Amino acid sequence: MKAIKAIYNFIVGDMIILVGVIVAIAILALTNTISALAPLRVATGYIFIAVVIGVLTATLYREARGKR
Amino acid sequence: MQWAIAIASFLASAVEFVEAFTIVLVVGITINWRSSLLGAFAAAATLAVIIATLGVALVKWVPINDFRLVVGIILVLFGLKWLKKAILRYSGLKALHDEEAIFEETMAEIRARGETVAPRFQPFGVALSYKSVLLEGLEVAFIVITFGSSVTTTSGNGIASAAIGAIVAGILVIAAGAIIRAPLTRVPENTLKFIVGIMLTSFGTFWAAEGFGFEWPLSDAFIPIIVVIYLIASYGLVTWLKWYKQRDLALVNTNNTSLQAAEQEEVHP
Repeated sequence: MKAIKAIYNFIVGDMIILVGVIVAIAILALTNTISALAPLRVATGYIFIAVVIGVLTATLYREARGKR
Repeated sequence: MQWAIAIASFLASAVEFVEAFTIVLVVGITINWRSSLLGAFAAAATLAVIIATLGVALVKWVPINDFRLVVGIILVLFGLKWLKKAILRYSGLKALHDEEAIFEETMAEIRARGETVAPRFQPFGVALSYKSVLLEGLEVAFIVITFGSSVTTTSGNGIASAAIGAIVAGILVIAAGAIIRAPLTRVPENTLKFIVGIMLTSFGTFWAAEGFGFEWPLSDAFIPIIVVIYLIASYGLVTWLKWYKQRDLALVNTNNTSLQAAEQEEVHP
């Protein structure tokens, strides 16, 4: 458990960032495997950029609220 | 010597070398040069082993898109962590240079005891430098092998010409980096960390999307556009957080004033 926590802190140390990026990857993996979502494939990069900005906003909002 | 192949390989490899060197440079300046160079040399050694054992089969056996995806995701995670800290410091929600102050204090204590400290290896710095150099180095190897083997050779070895182009590009990029290294050390720490965060997130985004088979418009030239997008977003977030902090302070002041007024009224009805 300690080792897992050390790796987590070393790589990211923030649950919102970790979960957000995992969700983004899951969404992109789905768009690339499910044929019904094929039209979204051309926007993979832009979706990823939007999710990254969303994740950053969410984690900063939590920090700002925490400082209250 | 096949000049067309050498020039094409030089240009394509130069882009990859610049990408790898940017990360080696920022890790060297913000963490320390020992960790950065250890990561870079370890990656170069790994690459040498991979190329020596796989050779031309490298193009066939290493799934470059999977590798890009994994490195891209890790870089985005690292990048967001740094970017978050830098934005919090810029907005005033986190003390500026607090880590530096602690570090300086510790160093002063050690010096006061008459001991000397060598900069330690930082696993974070070594890993960042290693991954970037390994990924970009693999891409250079792919360029050399694919460009080199794409020509039917009547006037020389295509792979040798491509390799010469790539080596010259590498030497030029390292020389240019050595020149700009000194001015970069004068940039404030938080600014550098902010730049590192932006660069890691941008490269990570670029590689992760490529790992899914996405083709960016303008290819590698789209990286500066991603950088600009993240810079604008960060500027917006810093402005928003400053406003948020100001609003909170104003609320606290109003509450304190009304509390004091209520207390005064209780004492002197």
